[in-house]
Amino acid sequence: MTLKTEMQVNRITNEVWEIPVTEKPGMVVPARIYATPAILHSMDRGVFDQVTNVACLPGITRHALCMPDGHWGYGFPIGGVAAFDVATGVISPGGVGYDVNCGMRLIRTDLTLEDVQPKLDRLMTELFRRVPAGVGASGFVRLNRDAFDSVMTRGARWCIEEGYGWHRDLARIEEGGCIAAADPSTVSDHAVGRGINQLGTLGSGNHYLEVQVVSNDRIFDSETAAALGLTGQDQIVVMVHCGSRGFGHQVASDYLKIFEKAMRRYGITVKDQQLACAPFRSPEGQDYFAAMNCAANTAFANRQVITHQIRAAFAHVFGLSAEELGMELVYDVAHNIAKVERYPEGELLVHRKGSTRAFGPGSPDVPRDFQKIGQPVICGGSMETGSYVLVGTDRAVQETFGSTMHGAGRTMSRAQAKKSIRGEQLQQDMKRRGILVKAVSMSGLAEEAGVAYKNISEVVDTVDRAGITKKVAELRPIGNIKG
Amino acid sequence: MAYSFRFLDDIALADLAFEAEGDSIEELFRSATQALLETLADPGTVATNWERRVMKVEEDPAALLFEWLSDIVYWKDAAGVVFHDAEISVTQEGPTWGLVAVLRGASVDQMTQTLHNDVKGITKHLYDVKQEGARWSARVVIDV
Repeated sequence: MTLKTEMQVNRITNEVWEIPVTEKPGMVVPARIYATPAILHSMDRGVFDQVTNVACLPGITRHALCMPDGHWGYGFPIGGVAAFDVATGVISPGGVGYDVNCGMRLIRTDLTLEDVQPKLDRLMTELFRRVPAGVGASGFVRLNRDAFDSVMTRGARWCIEEGYGWHRDLARIEEGGCIAAADPSTVSDHAVGRGINQLGTLGSGNHYLEVQVVSNDRIFDSETAAALGLTGQDQIVVMVHCGSRGFGHQVASDYLKIFEKAMRRYGITVKDQQLACAPFRSPEGQDYFAAMNCAANTAFANRQVITHQIRAAFAHVFGLSAEELGMELVYDVAHNIAKVERYPEGELLVHRKGSTRAFGPGSPDVPRDFQKIGQPVICGGSMETGSYVLVGTDRAVQETFGSTMHGAGRTMSRAQAKKSIRGEQLQQDMKRRGILVKAVSMSGLAEEAGVAYKNISEVVDTVDRAGITKKVAELRPIGNIKG
Repeated sequence: MAYSFRFLDDIALADLAFEAEGDSIEELFRSATQALLETLADPGTVATNWERRVMKVEEDPAALLFEWLSDIVYWKDAAGVVFHDAEISVTQEGPTWGLVAVLRGASVDQMTQTLHNDVKGITKHLYDVKQEGARWSARVVIDV
C-alpha cells in the first residue's frame, strides 16, 4: 500500500513521521504526523496536504502536528496541533474548528453492570427524554440575553450558581469550566440567536451520550484508574461528547468572514481559504479570541447542564440521589480550542483541533487530585466499539505542545456509510450485541456505524507507544443516545 | 426536471456535500435549497405553520447562495424549525444580485417528522458556483 501523498515522508521513530520544509513552497516548519506505519498508510490525502498548509502559516513554531486519529478537516486537519508565537503569529478559526470547545466529559458511578442491566431500557428512555438531541432541539434552560451573557463569561460556574451541578465539579473541568478572556461584545446577535435556546442539548453528527462499563480486564493501570475513581468492577460510567452547538459555529463563521478581509490588510496569504487568520495581537485576532472563549464557556456550560440531567435521570431510575450513586465527574476536556500556554520558546497560542490537551504530572494546570498521575484524557471511539481514558505525560509537553489524540477518526464518508448501512438494522444488531441505542434520526445513526471509523485501539496504542499519553482503561458501551 | 442535486460520496469525510444544478440561477437556488432542506429533514413530513420572508442582496450569485443557505441554518436554530419548502425569486440588477424568498416549515417534532442531520453551517471548503452555457451548478460542503 502506498501513502496518499507524493511528498517525502521521513520516519523519525515507528510512531513519528516528518515532512520536511522542502516539500511545499512556503513551509516555515516541518510537519510531523504521529502514526504507526499502518495508520499512516490509511490516512487520507487531505491530512498530508492540510498539515503542510498549516506549516506555512506566519509565526508557527517548531512543527505543524497531526495526531494518529487525523483526517481531512476544514483548513486544518482534524487531529491538528499548531503553536504560534503570541507576538508574531496568527490565530485561525480553522485551527480551532467550527464546534468551539467540542469536548468529552466522563461521569463515574458506584453502580455495576449487574445493577444497571435490568433497568437499562428504562434508564436510556429517561436519558433520551431529559437530554434533547437532534435537529433543532432546545434545552429546558430558558435564558434572556443577560443570562446568556453570563453563560458566555462564566461557563460552568454559571451552571453551579444556578444549581445545575456541584461546586466540586468545577475542579474536574479543564480551566475550571470558565475561561477568563471572554467578551460577549465580540459575539454577533446572529450567534446569540442560534445559541440562546440550545443549552443542555447534544446536537447530532458524531455527538452522543453513552452509558459504558469498565471491566477489570480492560484496566491497564489500576493505580491511576483508582485515582480517577474507576474501580473496574464492571463499573458503570457515562460519557458525553458535544460542544458549543450552533453558537460556536456561528462565531467561527462570523470571524472567518472578518479574517478574509483582514488578511488583505495585514498582507497574509494562505494556501486554503478555510485557513483564514489574523495576527493574534491584532484587534481582529483579539476579538475572535474573546468570542471563541465565549463559545468555549458556553460548551462547558452545555456539558454541565447535560450532566445535571444525567444525574437526575439516574436518580429517578435507581431511587437514590446522584450523591448516593457516587456520580462524581471524572474530568471534562476540550478538543477544539486555542489557548495561550508557556513553552521553552515562550508564550505560544496553541491551536488544538480534534486534539486533546495532555499535560503531565505536576503541571500547575492539572487539578490537585491528579497532580501525581497527570491530566485525564478522554477519547471516544465509535458507538459500536470502546472508548478510552488516558493520562497526559511530560513527553507530550516536550514533543506535542502537551497534546494528543481525541477519538477514533473517520475513514468512511457519511454519504458512503448511509448507502451501505441501514439505521434500523444497525440498531437491532447493536441491541443483539448488548448495546441499546436511542436515536432521533435513523439515517444519522447509519452514518455513525463503527465501520465508518478507524480502530480506536490502534490509535490509542500509537499515542501510548509514542509516550505522549498513557492508557488507563477501556470503556465498553451498553447504551447510546444519538441525535 | 429543470433542477437536480446529488449528495457526493467522496469528499467531506466527516460531513456532507452536495452538487446542485439548474437551468437558470433561480433553478440552481431551488435545487441547492431542496438539498439542504432534505439534509435537515424529510420535507414531506413537515407542516407549514411557520413562515419567514427573507430578502438578501450580494455582489455575486455565489455569495448570495452562500448567505441564503446560511440563513436557512440560522432559522433552524433560532426558531427551532425544520422546513417544508421555500418560494424563491432571484434577480440581477446591474452589479448586484437579489433574493426574495419565503421559507415555510414547522417547529421540530420528533414524533411526526422524519429528522435527519442537525446542520451546523455552510462552509467555503470546495465551495463553487459556476455557469456553463445556460446551466448553473454549485458544489456545497455542509458541516454536520
